[in-house]
Amino acid sequence: MPLSRLGALLLLAPSILLLVFVFLGPIGWFLVGSFAELGSLAEIWEETRAVVGSRAVALAIANTNWIALQVTFFVLLIGYPLAYALNRARGLAFSLIIIAIVLPYFTSVIVRTYAWMVILGRNGIINQMLLGLGIVSEPLELMYNRLGVVIGMTYVLLPYMVLTLYAAMKAVDPRLLQAAEGMGASRLGVFLRVFLPLTMHGVIAGSLIVFILAIGFFVTPALMGGPSDIMIAMLIEREIELTQNWPVAAMMTVVLLVVTLVLYAIYARFTGGRTGFAR
Amino acid sequence: MRKPTGPFTLSRRSLVAAAAVAPLASPGVLRGQTAGEVIVRTPGGVYDDVMRRHVYDPFTKETGIRVQPVAATVARLLAMFRANNVELDLIDTGDGPLVTLERMGALAPIAYDQWHWTRPDDIVREVRHEYRCANFIYATVLAYNRESFPNGTHPKSWAEFWDGAKFPGPRMLADMASGQPNLEFALIADGVSKDQLYPLDIDRAFRSLSRVKPHIRKFWDTGALSAQMLSDKEVVLGSVWNGRVQTIIDRGAPLGIEWNQHMIQTQALAVFKGARNGANAQKLIDFMLRPESQAGYARELIYGPTNVKAFDLLPADQLARMPGSPNSRESGFFNNVPWWEDNRDRVNRAWSRWILG
Repeated sequence: MPLSRLGALLLLAPSILLLVFVFLGPIGWFLVGSFAELGSLAEIWEETRAVVGSRAVALAIANTNWIALQVTFFVLLIGYPLAYALNRARGLAFSLIIIAIVLPYFTSVIVRTYAWMVILGRNGIINQMLLGLGIVSEPLELMYNRLGVVIGMTYVLLPYMVLTLYAAMKAVDPRLLQAAEGMGASRLGVFLRVFLPLTMHGVIAGSLIVFILAIGFFVTPALMGGPSDIMIAMLIEREIELTQNWPVAAMMTVVLLVVTLVLYAIYARFTGGRTGFAR
Repeated sequence: MRKPTGPFTLSRRSLVAAAAVAPLASPGVLRGQTAGEVIVRTPGGVYDDVMRRHVYDPFTKETGIRVQPVAATVARLLAMFRANNVELDLIDTGDGPLVTLERMGALAPIAYDQWHWTRPDDIVREVRHEYRCANFIYATVLAYNRESFPNGTHPKSWAEFWDGAKFPGPRMLADMASGQPNLEFALIADGVSKDQLYPLDIDRAFRSLSRVKPHIRKFWDTGALSAQMLSDKEVVLGSVWNGRVQTIIDRGAPLGIEWNQHMIQTQALAVFKGARNGANAQKLIDFMLRPESQAGYARELIYGPTNVKAFDLLPADQLARMPGSPNSRESGFFNNVPWWEDNRDRVNRAWSRWILG
């Protein structure tokens, strides 16, 4: 029986209230307070032009999107087979995979990032192994550059993709796969023509979550990136922490929000308005 | 950390996200209503352990006042003040942020006339101010790897540090996010003498930084990262806070410090105006600055004391490596905090353009 509008609203009320209090309220307070600090509309306009027209902000936004895109690609590449394996695994194997995926999720990002520094450093585990085996003669530069950022972020964001895909895969009726096989489809055919399309909404939803989280990242790029791997969140953080220039930080936040919303709109367009979450 | 919240800035990142919403979502854990308490903003980590041994516990024993250290970023402190919701009493942080707070009118004057453990006149004049008083002196020094540069072959000036051909190997310098990039060293490397640095010529400094940039593996933003990069040999040369590098040298890392042209900086104490336990905070300042306390934590942190009487309690070999000592004043120079407070915004923008350009 479909819910009445009132019923739906009542069920949604707690989430909406929570969002208003812990998200919209503080953001509103921050934006209003920051812009109020500037005083006149003319000054707000002046500052907005300075921020939007700034080459540094434009480059940081471009960096941010490009890094987020690369990370989303690799997360999907690794996450899809992993979610598939998780979906097929039973018993101990299932528990082990789920623990391996979820446990890091509960560890602080900083701790995980430092762990990568031990592995990827110039004298880290990988380089020592490669040098020891004589495969390379000079340590490889695996971090403090773009590669390090992509590796670190891919790892941190992987659970979001795997868990989203797992939910989507779990919802696929196995009888459909059996039916396809029964009708003579090859295993590849079953995958490409039945399983993949049925889990595509999970792919889209997972990619969207990962991409949106990625464009707001700053701990990992700050720790694992090189001198010019600057993402927009790092610029915002500096304006808040370092120079206490909240109006400029607020403006950059709006720029980031607009970029996110534009991407979301494009995506909604491609998926015919379906969010991918609701099915 | 950001505005140099001091040489220890461990937990800033995790707190940054909370900073903007702090006044609305302030944790209820910081209850300061009880009379016998003082809540102190500290840099956290090892620093708290050292201070507990040499200051907080003895203070509690003597006065019955409990000391509760908490971590907070500069932005968080400002947010508290703006939202009129000051949750802590005493601020123990880099001189820079305190100047910012002072200019906002957020600080209460230091009650020098109430002191009875410390004689105000024993505190070095240059670091004793109306609204803040330094509790130790630290330095940004040139550190080098002794395996890469054995037997005194290391760079002995910033000009030599800049010379990647003669002194090869990956290097690091401070990031803007650390509070201040090493513009002073860039100017010294370019030939400016250390007593004519301020006001800094920002454009000239960045042109000089461009010359060393190809040799920079990473700009460090936290003391922890800078120490890690040196001890992991990610870099063989770098600017670093002296206490950070001394700690890993004492643990056996093959590193050395070149004291020539180091920059002297201060950590300081201040009391929030209208703090719930303001009187207790004033007492803790008095207690922390007495010679015995200062000698105790200065020895462990390897930062220089600000109480001249504390120098008498330190052995000669310890004194030799203390920032702010007569030796240090000879070979180093004082960081100009007001200049940075006035110009950080400009430098921050120039930095973004330079690093991304």
